[in-house]
Amino acid sequence: MEQSLVYLAAALMMGLSAIGAAVGIGMLGGKFLEGAARQPELVPLLRSQFFIVMGLVDAVPMIGVGLGMYLLFAV
Amino acid sequence: MGKRGQKQGIHSRATRKQIFRIYLIQAVIGIGLSAALLLKDTVTAYSALLGAVLYLIPNLYFASRALKSNPNQSPNTALVELYASEIWKMGISIVAFAAVFILVKPLNPFSLFVTFILMQISGWIAQMNLNNRFLKL
Repeated sequence: MEQSLVYLAAALMMGLSAIGAAVGIGMLGGKFLEGAARQPELVPLLRSQFFIVMGLVDAVPMIGVGLGMYLLFAV
Repeated sequence: MGKRGQKQGIHSRATRKQIFRIYLIQAVIGIGLSAALLLKDTVTAYSALLGAVLYLIPNLYFASRALKSNPNQSPNTALVELYASEIWKMGISIVAFAAVFILVKPLNPFSLFVTFILMQISGWIAQMNLNNRFLKL
C-alpha cells in the first residue's frame, strides 16, 4: 500500500509537470511562429529568445522529473 | 538570402558562445560547491557534484543542438529542431537521474537536489542578465 502511494506520488509529480511544460512550450512555439510570420527578419533574435525562455519554462518540470525519479528508484 | 543568412549565423554563434560561457561558470560553481562540501562529508560532496553534472549534461546537449548555426533554416525547421532538442534533453535527464539513483549508493539526495536547484536558479539569473534585449520583446 505504501509503495503504491509512492508510485502514485511520482506519477502525479511527473504528469503534472509534463502538463505544465507542454502548455508553456506549446504557447511559446505558437508565439515564435506568429512573430516569425510578422517579422521574418527577426527570426534569429526570436530563436535566441525562444531558447532562453524555454530554459525558464522547463526548469520546474525538470526538478519534478528528478524528484519523481528519486521516488521511483531510491525510496 | 546571403545577407540574412550571414546575420542569422552570426547571431546564433554569438548566443551559443554566451550560453556556453554561462555553463562554464555554472560548472565552476558546482565544482566549488562540492569542494566546499568535501570538508563536511565525502558523500555530500559527490552528491552535490552529481547534481551539477545532472544539470549540465542535458543542458549542454540542448544548447549545442538548438543553437547550431544554420543560415538556411526556415522558422518551421528551427522550431522543429528546438522541440526535438528539448525532448532529447528531457530524455537524457530522465535516464541520467534513473542511472544515478540506481547505481550510486550511498547518496545524499538533499545535497543533490539543492545543487541541482541552485544550478537552475543561477542559470535563470545569468541568462536573463546576459540578454539585454530580453525585456524589449
